[in-house]
Amino acid sequence: MTAAGGHTERVRQRTHEGFLRHKGFRWAQIAALLCLVVVAVYFFVAARLQEPPSGGSWLGYVLGTLSAGLIVWLACLGIRKRVITSGHYSLKAWVSAHVYLGLSLTVLATLHTGFQFGWNVHTLAYVLMMLVIASGAIGIWAYATLPQRLHGNRGETTRKQMLEALESLDQQLRDLGQPLDRAGAQIVRLSVEETDLDGGFWRRMTGAYGDCANLRAMRLLKALPPAPNPRIAEVLGKIDTVMQQKADVLGLARRQMQITAALEGWLFVHIPATFALLAALTAHVVSVFAYW
Amino acid sequence: MAQVFQLKLITQRAGGGDPIIREREVEGLVATIGRSAGNDIVLADLSIDPQHARMRFTGPGRVSIESTSDLPFEVAGKAVLAAELNIASHPVATFGAYVLSFEPGEDEAVVVTVKRVEDEHHASPGVFSLQAKVFGRRNMAWVLGSGILLLCLAIPLIFVLFSANPRISLDKQWSTGPLSTSHAFLQNDCKSCHANAFVAVRDETCLTCHAADPKAAPKALAHAKQLGSPFAPRLIAGHAPHADLRKATPLPDGLGAKASVLVQRAFNHPTDRCASCHVEHTPTKGGDPKAPLADKPKLVVVQDCESCHSELKMRLGKTDLIDTPDWSKHPGFRPLVMTQAGPTPRFQRVALDTAPQERNGLTFPHRLHLDPVGGVARQAVGLGKAAGYGAALECASCHRRSADAKAFKPIEMERDCGDCHSLAYARVGGEFRNLPHGDLQKVVATLAGRGSQATVDAARQRPGQIRPIAFAATGAGAYRATFSPGGACYDCHTIRWEGDTVRMAPVALTARYLPRGGFDHSVPEHGGPGPSKTGGFRCADCHRAQTSDKSGDLLIPDLAKCGTCHGQTTAKIAAADDADCTTCHSFHAPGQATPKPGHPPLRTLRWTEALNRRAAGH
Repeated sequence: MTAAGGHTERVRQRTHEGFLRHKGFRWAQIAALLCLVVVAVYFFVAARLQEPPSGGSWLGYVLGTLSAGLIVWLACLGIRKRVITSGHYSLKAWVSAHVYLGLSLTVLATLHTGFQFGWNVHTLAYVLMMLVIASGAIGIWAYATLPQRLHGNRGETTRKQMLEALESLDQQLRDLGQPLDRAGAQIVRLSVEETDLDGGFWRRMTGAYGDCANLRAMRLLKALPPAPNPRIAEVLGKIDTVMQQKADVLGLARRQMQITAALEGWLFVHIPATFALLAALTAHVVSVFAYW
Repeated sequence: MAQVFQLKLITQRAGGGDPIIREREVEGLVATIGRSAGNDIVLADLSIDPQHARMRFTGPGRVSIESTSDLPFEVAGKAVLAAELNIASHPVATFGAYVLSFEPGEDEAVVVTVKRVEDEHHASPGVFSLQAKVFGRRNMAWVLGSGILLLCLAIPLIFVLFSANPRISLDKQWSTGPLSTSHAFLQNDCKSCHANAFVAVRDETCLTCHAADPKAAPKALAHAKQLGSPFAPRLIAGHAPHADLRKATPLPDGLGAKASVLVQRAFNHPTDRCASCHVEHTPTKGGDPKAPLADKPKLVVVQDCESCHSELKMRLGKTDLIDTPDWSKHPGFRPLVMTQAGPTPRFQRVALDTAPQERNGLTFPHRLHLDPVGGVARQAVGLGKAAGYGAALECASCHRRSADAKAFKPIEMERDCGDCHSLAYARVGGEFRNLPHGDLQKVVATLAGRGSQATVDAARQRPGQIRPIAFAATGAGAYRATFSPGGACYDCHTIRWEGDTVRMAPVALTARYLPRGGFDHSVPEHGGPGPSKTGGFRCADCHRAQTSDKSGDLLIPDLAKCGTCHGQTTAKIAAADDADCTTCHSFHAPGQATPKPGHPPLRTLRWTEALNRRAAGH
């Protein structure tokens, strides 16, 4: 038994499969089959329904119940992932099912609407659901591609090293700036004190740092009047070099941040939108029965 | 020791541990402060000018600092350009990252401790993560979730359950779609239909505007007006008592449909409500979603006629309706036959194939009037074309179509018989005086009060015309003559005498023999105006009037006559048409054909037009 266990372990390590390909795309197949069945039933039944297809027909109720149940179960991933279990349903299986059944909701819930949309709480729930699914899809893409890019960007440099390099360059700038007059010192201070490595959500996502203080300082440095003596001129030359080095490190770190933001950013939509969806779904269900 | 600045320069070690302390004295009473190496106190901070400030003794234990660069420094938290310090109070001055603390030294000396305040802020690798910057995911989730729950559910629900203010329509966001044009005025007033939360719209609510019951109708119209309806609601009669309907309606065909009905019933959402068929908040099936709103609620036919009327007797034992599973098994006509005329005539449903006779109190042989060569025909020829005759009588000579040509106006003696059957009893100054028709007492009174100035026009001798002998007689004689053979009334009315009192059998003419089915006489194939398809019928094809000698004969055709065209193929007869229940019956008014969708047009239901229509008797 032990030998067999060991063997299995080695095989598992050799053929590591992510949550997407879990058990040979088992959940992808289940979800696809579910979609196919539902689409077939819809087009068979809807044509024979007396009333226009809507969430209020018997098929609408079936699809609605199924969709609502799925949404609640999918949202439970947040609870499941915090619980460590040793049972049959591994977290990987759970995430795999989460991804594919979540994607199948686009079909189930759309058919539940009967393609009737409006400015109301029902369509709000639908839009939020699509937002959650779309952000989740971006998350799948991010997890599949970004970690590699993150690694490619930083090369052998660690994040800690990047920060240390910046601090060291700042210290060099401070020291180099000592002989400068007030105007020169202001420029160095601009680079040292005003440079923001990071930024808000959009700045991180877009990597738009055109007004970076270090860049401004470099421009101002070049616009300074000619140095009064060769010693100052030499200092200014050194400062310019250090600022350029700083700009390079900043660029590297910020790209790192940009990729990290993309890797994490979808969750900032996915999680809040899920809560909003659960609320809108409750409002949808209760209001439908309140005004039956 | 005289007044002298003793400097204590404290530098932190980069790697931690005890700081490095260097001490020296400044020569002279003045000490310069700045970033430049030539200063007495060198502060290596770029925010400090090369020559920033100067400090000097101004007295025992007193030191003044003044800026020589126009750049400030801080004393007691305030940015100043000059400051007078009392050393005894251990003052502190801040230049950029450097803090200068003053304290009295030995023998009027002043100890100045210069210490750099290190900026302890170091970026941590956590800065790369998004979490550090943006409004937390968890907060966003709770704010959004609870916000939606409050705005979209809790608050509207509170208003729905506990407030009756119609101006606050927070529940409008629950509407699943626009209402039809006829109900669009209720768009913001959900509770006008959804009267009870969590209870499906009930018929009672619909009937508050649409009840056709004579007692409830005026109230219903007023209620619709009060709610702001631009239209007069159509008043709707139920198909049958609700309890009977429920008992008589079988489950629909198909497993899904059956399950749907049972589940809906179980959840207090019965499928026999008005709203089960008249569906709102939904576009037309397969229609353009951008198309203008439907005029009326979408009609969904849940059950067809046959599904209930196939085995009705089995489900509803007390009914006297005959099961009609399909057209070929439609029972023969059982017209309402008048068994007693009079002010309140009595009727009885009698099968047509038993050759029933009607008692309408009138003597009227159709054969005599339609005989093309008889005396009647001759008189009609004599009356001439100008009077509307000029040839033998035909049906239309006496039976006038109603305004919509679908039916016929009730027979009025003066209009429809009067051209031949004169009611004149006297002539005064060249004008005839007519007996009033319809009220025996008035006739008798008129004859009794006859003036002597009346003269006889001997030239006119028409049926019913009062004979000269009558005018020659006394009042009592004229009275008896009028109601005796040869008198004006005797030809048509059944009269008997009780002594000197005349008795006349009451008369009533049936307006509709088959009130449970609609028949449209305006259809060209039914003898209506306009060109008919080949095989279309004329009056005589259905009504055998030409061979009828008694007014009691029922001249309506049997169902087989309808079957000549209805349910046949055009190969058999060009006038063939469908044989659908709805051709003659409808759900809410079984005696009328099912109206075409959208009938009547919505615009005709506008209040003014509706009033006009009502005034015109439609």
